[in-house]
Amino acid sequence: MSDKIGYTEAFEELQQIVSEIEQGEISVDELSEKVKRAAQLIKVCKAKLTATEEDVNKILKELDASETDDNEG
Amino acid sequence: MPEKTNDKTIFSLLEVTQSIQKTLSERYKSAFWVKAEMNKLNFYGQSGHCYPELVEKQDGKVIAQIKSHLWKDDYIRANNNFKVVLKEPLKDGIKILFLAKVSFDPGHGLALWILDIDPSYTLGDLEREKQEAISRLQEEGIFNRNKTVKLPLLPQRIAIISVETSKGYVDFLKVIETNSWNYAFFHLLFPSLLQGDKAVEAICHQLRRIKRIKSHFDVVAIIRGGGGDIGLSCYNNYQLAKEIALFPIPVITGIGHATNETVTEMVSFSNAITPTKLAEFLLQHFHNFSIPLQDGERIIIDTSHQLIRDAKSKLHSELKLFRSVTENILTANRNEVRELLKSVFHHTRSQISQFKLLVLQWKDKLFAHASLQCKQTQMELKNIDKNIINMSPQVVLKRGYSITRLNGEAIKDTHTIRSGDTVSTTLFEGNIISVVQSTNQSAKE
Repeated sequence: MSDKIGYTEAFEELQQIVSEIEQGEISVDELSEKVKRAAQLIKVCKAKLTATEEDVNKILKELDASETDDNEG
Repeated sequence: MPEKTNDKTIFSLLEVTQSIQKTLSERYKSAFWVKAEMNKLNFYGQSGHCYPELVEKQDGKVIAQIKSHLWKDDYIRANNNFKVVLKEPLKDGIKILFLAKVSFDPGHGLALWILDIDPSYTLGDLEREKQEAISRLQEEGIFNRNKTVKLPLLPQRIAIISVETSKGYVDFLKVIETNSWNYAFFHLLFPSLLQGDKAVEAICHQLRRIKRIKSHFDVVAIIRGGGGDIGLSCYNNYQLAKEIALFPIPVITGIGHATNETVTEMVSFSNAITPTKLAEFLLQHFHNFSIPLQDGERIIIDTSHQLIRDAKSKLHSELKLFRSVTENILTANRNEVRELLKSVFHHTRSQISQFKLLVLQWKDKLFAHASLQCKQTQMELKNIDKNIINMSPQVVLKRGYSITRLNGEAIKDTHTIRSGDTVSTTLFEGNIISVVQSTNQSAKE
């Protein structure tokens, strides 16, 4: 189980599990595993909704660097 | 009056220019309509007058030009008409149709005196330019290009092209930053002019900057608002529209209440019209993500509980069924065993009584047989006894038989007997000792 799953993939996988559960395609035997996975996916998605990781200073530095390169070139 | 020197008549410059002025004013008495390109408006803020540069071009070359003046009051009226009809002020580089008189002033020279400008002519011209930009983008196959770029599920990181002081920018930030769902956005402002001719280059410049660091952004938002509806024709500019159409990440626009959609808005990924609507567009994407997420969570919880409940109740009913079936089987078997036991008892008892009877019968028969046998045997024994008695030597001797012995041995034939042998003969009563005279071998009679 990868911890680095992107939220888009997490969202799609979650939709898949929900539709399987809704269609009654999941047996009681698989249920625990699926619910555990779904909980992880939901956590990834919810975290994404309420937090971003971008850093203004880092972006501005990168922008400056690219513009300096261009001016020198 | 002209001076006369020798044979020459000499005019002063004023006399000549006044003569030209007189001739021209007689020749050009009435005003007439002229179409031309207004290269520069040349508005002077202090006086309020304008001195437009008028040119006519053919294949990009100026083939005619003339100075002109537009007095303050005429300028204010014409400019207001423009704002109403075109949503644009009078500005450099537009084609105009104007009412003018030829004006010649000895001090300022020849010029056209602009009395009025017809905004509908310029409107048509701007519209034609807009249509040209559209068809050019369509011909190049890039008109819908930005619409085909993938917008992430959560357009969270926004590069904003706007100005800090714009009311639209403030409105936009207010909506995304105070959203009650705690959706997180990251945004960075790339300041730019947003209207007028210089806006094209300014916006393009910021777009190029954003392109360098595009990996940090999900979407570009061009936000304008609060600046009125004048000066938006820059958004019909081909270069700007092309930059947006070809932009590698989605560009969304909220540039305000333009009467007609501009080319920039047409080619952008999505046109939200107002900055607030644009913010709502982004929030809507978050909802589109968040609501299925919550629904999914609820469905998973509910359905799992239901599934477990169902399984439990199924197990219970199976258990009940199992218990009842096994109890039935046990009862049936127990009854059968009991019946079998009963019948085994019954059968053995009757078998035993039968055997007892048989044994008794056999006992009687045995006794009967045995006593009969005994009697017979007794009889036989008696007979034998009788015979034995009959056969005893005493009895035989009594009947007159005798035994002759030689040397104690009973003589059965004559072979062992020689004349002269002394033999002893035993009778029933008494013995005879005799000497053998002769023997003869007589055959048995």
